[in-house]
Amino acid sequence: MKRAFAGIVVSGVVACIGCGPTRVVAPGADAEAAGRIRATLVSASSAGGAAEAAESATGTGWGTLKGRFTFAGAVPQPKPLVVDKDTEVCSMGGMKLLDRSLLVDPSSKGLANVVVFARKTGRVKTAAAETPLVFDQKSCEFISPVFAARVGQVVDVRNSDPIGHNTNIAGSSFNQLIPAGQGTAYKPDAETGMPTMVTCNIHPWMKAYAVFRKDGYVAVSGPDGSFTIPDLPAGETIEFQVWHERSGGPNGAVGLEKPDLKWTPKGRFQVKLEPDEVKDLGTLEVPAGAVGG
Amino acid sequence: MNRFSHIAFLLVAGCILSAGCGKTPSASYRLNMVEATKQRLTTEQEQQVATVLLAMFGTPDDPVALPEFGLDEAKLRLASGPVRSDIVGRKNGLYREHCAHCHGVTGDGMGPTAAFLNPYPRDYRPGVFKFKSTERADKPTHADLLRILRNGIAGTSMPSFALLSEPQIDALAEYVKYLSIRGETELALMRAYFELDDDAKGILPETREFLVDETASPIAEKWKSATAAQIAVPDMPADIDLTASIAKGKELFYGDKANCVKCHGVTGLGDGQANDYDDWNKSIVEINKEIKGGLAKAGETSTSGMSADEAAEHRKQVAWLGKFSHVVDGDALAPRTIPPRNLRLGVYRGGRRPLDLYYRIHAGINGAPMPAAKGTVPPEDIWHIVNYIRSLPYEFDGELGADRPMVARDRF
Repeated sequence: MKRAFAGIVVSGVVACIGCGPTRVVAPGADAEAAGRIRATLVSASSAGGAAEAAESATGTGWGTLKGRFTFAGAVPQPKPLVVDKDTEVCSMGGMKLLDRSLLVDPSSKGLANVVVFARKTGRVKTAAAETPLVFDQKSCEFISPVFAARVGQVVDVRNSDPIGHNTNIAGSSFNQLIPAGQGTAYKPDAETGMPTMVTCNIHPWMKAYAVFRKDGYVAVSGPDGSFTIPDLPAGETIEFQVWHERSGGPNGAVGLEKPDLKWTPKGRFQVKLEPDEVKDLGTLEVPAGAVGG
Repeated sequence: MNRFSHIAFLLVAGCILSAGCGKTPSASYRLNMVEATKQRLTTEQEQQVATVLLAMFGTPDDPVALPEFGLDEAKLRLASGPVRSDIVGRKNGLYREHCAHCHGVTGDGMGPTAAFLNPYPRDYRPGVFKFKSTERADKPTHADLLRILRNGIAGTSMPSFALLSEPQIDALAEYVKYLSIRGETELALMRAYFELDDDAKGILPETREFLVDETASPIAEKWKSATAAQIAVPDMPADIDLTASIAKGKELFYGDKANCVKCHGVTGLGDGQANDYDDWNKSIVEINKEIKGGLAKAGETSTSGMSADEAAEHRKQVAWLGKFSHVVDGDALAPRTIPPRNLRLGVYRGGRRPLDLYYRIHAGINGAPMPAAKGTVPPEDIWHIVNYIRSLPYEFDGELGADRPMVARDRF
């Protein structure tokens, strides 16, 4: 009797507490501050708009920024990907597709596919890109693992395989069927901020990254880790953003210990160029731990 | 009474007391904690987002909209708040009566019923909608939302609300737009912290220029321009020979040009590429991967060789991963794959009219792996595929031959 009663009591207590997943407390709004903000938002006159004059773009001439990323650690061996479809094309002649998320050149230790772009510049040398950019896929692999294009530039998305693919650019609503041997044109209409993922849903192992910038001041480091951004406006402090697919930093930002360049944990550094200057940042060593090596 | 009964009595009384009998707190919008944690926002920053959203959109009981959003506040009032009758006896609080138990008060697709449904209810906050008459990147038109509300979505838990009056359905569609604009603005605000310059000290500017002109208006603008983004569908050729068209459609379905077979399978049963996720679930899958990988790596790393700064940074990262894992447990549903549609059932979620199927093939399905055929497959070929797909449920399944799927009885 006593035992049954105890059972009821205990189960009652447990039922009271429940067993759903606990949710973290979400901070609430400050009603008073919200009232103040609301007042400024509904005042139809956007009076405050012109208060701050646009930064006067005073500099003249153009400069170039160079550098080379290296990987500080044992050179990693790229792992083969699991290819379980269309193997007559995707694994032709026993070929193995490799995971290209961390590519290090064994001789120079250069770290490939690091993206560097200017966050904002006062002046831009060429208003728009004239030549279309080809983004191709062959043997069930995007040929460029990371590519950069300008907003408004024509990206010729091609398929050089004898089988069909689809190209799905995350965050852009572009997900287009690309029949065998054909292509389609895509014009990025907005900046990506940090690079965005490109996938093929038919072949889930296929992955690349795209970065779209208005001003075109963006570079992807080559197989030896080097990058060059030409035609940068001289005479102004430009902040650059650095990204790598495998970086554990916020949104893939690569933070380095470089106080002379004011390098931040958000992966940003600052440079001011003189006209016609070619500034070489030299070797930028990325610790193995920073990119999950 | 012995001592034991005393304790039991106290426990029960305590339990009742703790449950209480006070007033139910008024409904509130929940912050998008998954994105906030992903963007590593501080508590102050989360609070700023909540405050700005309150200023721009009000509360679930008292929604407001800026004139720029192009929303009708009278319709929002009819749809929002607790279920009640107004002074002329008209029913108010329609969203909470009909929608919130699945789609959630915040429109996050996480109402109390959500976890038991397959597919999960739509999360409006990313501003992505599947079944519409517009191009892939565009918002649905108001008429698209009305059609979904009236007809429901076949094959899912979304019922038809055809028994509601026209003004009621209209008010609900307006409220869905409002929740979506609110949710997308919230995402944009949370992502804006990362883009701040260092001298902003991690605080977003609370100006009209930034909040309205740069952030919320472009989102609202896309809703306003939806009608202009409707897909121009050429009529199906009037003199079309249906048998020939179906044969052509079949050829395209299995061919390298349209490639339907890759996902919908050689049988058309949706048994091709079946382990993919839609965008909503994929974002959680990616986060889970990051947490799992990060924690595994942290487990292998020893802090002994690190400098004090590095060790502090390492501890911060591990703490963040732990928090993220906790947030995802409570604020996201367990990810589910999205199987390609079984085309032999004759159930079409986005509508069964030939026109609906044309839209799905032309623009693909936004948010889902289904790609757009537009541009690479000409309109007359899309009509052939539509005709073939519409014939599939009635095709004699003996035609499948060796590809005919095994029935369950034969598998064991």
